[in-house]
Amino acid sequence: MRLADWLVLCGSLAFVVLYGLWRGRGSNSVNKYLLAGKTMPWHAMALSIMATQASAVTFISTTGQSYVDGMRFVQFYFGLPLAMVILCATAVPIFHRANVYTAYEYLEQRFDARTRALVSAIFLIQRGLALGITLYAPAVVLTVLLGWPERVTTLIMGAVAVMYTTLGGVKTVAWSDFQQMMVMTAGLVAALIAAVLLLPSGVSFHDAVSLAGAAGRLNAVTLKLDWNDRYNLWSGLIGGMFLALSYFGCDQSQVQRYLTGKSIAQSRLSLLFNGIAKVPMQFFILFIGAMVFVFYIYEKPPMLFERTELARIQQPSMQAEYRPLEQRYDAAFESRKAAADRLIQARRSGDSRLRQEGLEEYRSAQQDLDATRRQSVNLVEKAGGAKGLVDTNYIFLTFVTRHLPAGLVGLVLAVIFGATMASISAEVNSLATVSMVDIYKRHFRKLAPDHHYLNVSRAATVFWGCYAVITAQYVGRLGSLVEAVNLLGSFFYGGMLGVFVLAFYFKRVRARGAFYGVLAGEAVIFATYFLTKIAYLWLNVIGCLVVVATGVLITRLGRQ
Amino acid sequence: MAEQLPEQAIKSDGREYPEDPPPLLGTWRRMYFVVIGWLTFLIVVFYLFARRFAP
Repeated sequence: MRLADWLVLCGSLAFVVLYGLWRGRGSNSVNKYLLAGKTMPWHAMALSIMATQASAVTFISTTGQSYVDGMRFVQFYFGLPLAMVILCATAVPIFHRANVYTAYEYLEQRFDARTRALVSAIFLIQRGLALGITLYAPAVVLTVLLGWPERVTTLIMGAVAVMYTTLGGVKTVAWSDFQQMMVMTAGLVAALIAAVLLLPSGVSFHDAVSLAGAAGRLNAVTLKLDWNDRYNLWSGLIGGMFLALSYFGCDQSQVQRYLTGKSIAQSRLSLLFNGIAKVPMQFFILFIGAMVFVFYIYEKPPMLFERTELARIQQPSMQAEYRPLEQRYDAAFESRKAAADRLIQARRSGDSRLRQEGLEEYRSAQQDLDATRRQSVNLVEKAGGAKGLVDTNYIFLTFVTRHLPAGLVGLVLAVIFGATMASISAEVNSLATVSMVDIYKRHFRKLAPDHHYLNVSRAATVFWGCYAVITAQYVGRLGSLVEAVNLLGSFFYGGMLGVFVLAFYFKRVRARGAFYGVLAGEAVIFATYFLTKIAYLWLNVIGCLVVVATGVLITRLGRQ
Repeated sequence: MAEQLPEQAIKSDGREYPEDPPPLLGTWRRMYFVVIGWLTFLIVVFYLFARRFAP
């Protein structure tokens, strides 16, 4: 980190936070603190929704995923625009007219207090578990690449986010998200331009795209339906739609964004903007990863991007096995580079036979390089390191910190910090809202003055903020469980979506059916995950369908 | 002014929420078709892009 990087990083973050605090001033009632007095314009809500959804891991991991596996992850988002249309037609007007602070408050109006309490508890558990990881995941990457202590980075990001969330409430969160989204866009565009400009002078942009495609890194659409394949057109459209419906329709961290709208029309516009912009944005982020892949065809990448584990297999006791592996890796890199040059020449010559030969040589060299990397992962395990190491999260930031010019590194790090704070502030804000509205006010103190609830909301924000910072200090010890905890989101969303589908579309279903429907849905989701190999995107579909079927069945049996 | 009763403070903002038309295209149904049409266009473009540069 050079002086220019520090200036850009600190300047961007200070501007974002101060701007948010300025726009959020005067949040002196519960309505203003939790719903911004329902004054937000659609463009602020739209970018806030996108910033909340895009955590730091989205930028770090998505680019790395494209580097390793290609662009097929974009299909994960194909269901999102469909979900936005469905929510605009149903949930948005219903929530607005119900005059609720939380999505779960509506469940008591429609069913009963027991169902509201159950779904609120599910939300608190699921979001609470994810909170520490949202803060921890980027910190661990920054630690490995820059040597910054995890405790310091989590404390800084957590403390700043909690400070402005506590002071300004949801309005500050939304306006700082708005600015953070601007910084994110600027940082990503700059990173793509840099990746292309850093290519050797003889390699054009078209050559780079061709090389990425020849290595299978531009596989944006897979038509084949495979239930065990995470990302194809069908799992993206159907599973992705259910996941987006759950996230944007039932998760308070998102519902609270569009409940702050001036009108139903403003809230709808914010969601429709998300439906239009999200897929191209993800395509763009994945394309950056593909260009980073091409950059590393000409610049030798480390055998493993996770430096700690690389150092482990480089230690003297492992040299007998590491040295031959390193030699094979160097040879594979050089042969891929030469094959890439020959493929470019063959493509330019227009000779299809030469092109086919060049393509086969290039793909074979890529396979050799991939095989060597797999062997290094096995060696890490043998040396007592991580089992089945996946280093995708380190690829993009390795590229940024080693190869980008001064100032740009600071801008990309501002993207990482900003994305983390946007997600944390929205999550803490929503957890505080549910704790105050659905738990405290509903079950502990029903009658109190407005300023009392305002103070409780602020106290709850501080509580969840401290909880995030403290749990972030310990999630690292969970090791591989970090991934398992992330999976918990998909365990709960299907059940939550099911109960809202019952509420919106099945007018005859009563409280008893909804309550036991959620319990049955959750039981089936867990059984499906642990007893089958069905990809996790389908868990939301299965859970939702079971809740609906059980709710309808119990209501009918009750009538008989 | 006396402090509001909690239920009033929390529940009702006294507003009605009419079905405002969108700023473009006249009806929300048309807006929804535009979003779905945009998604279809993107999928077709991504598919053609993937095929054009497939190994």
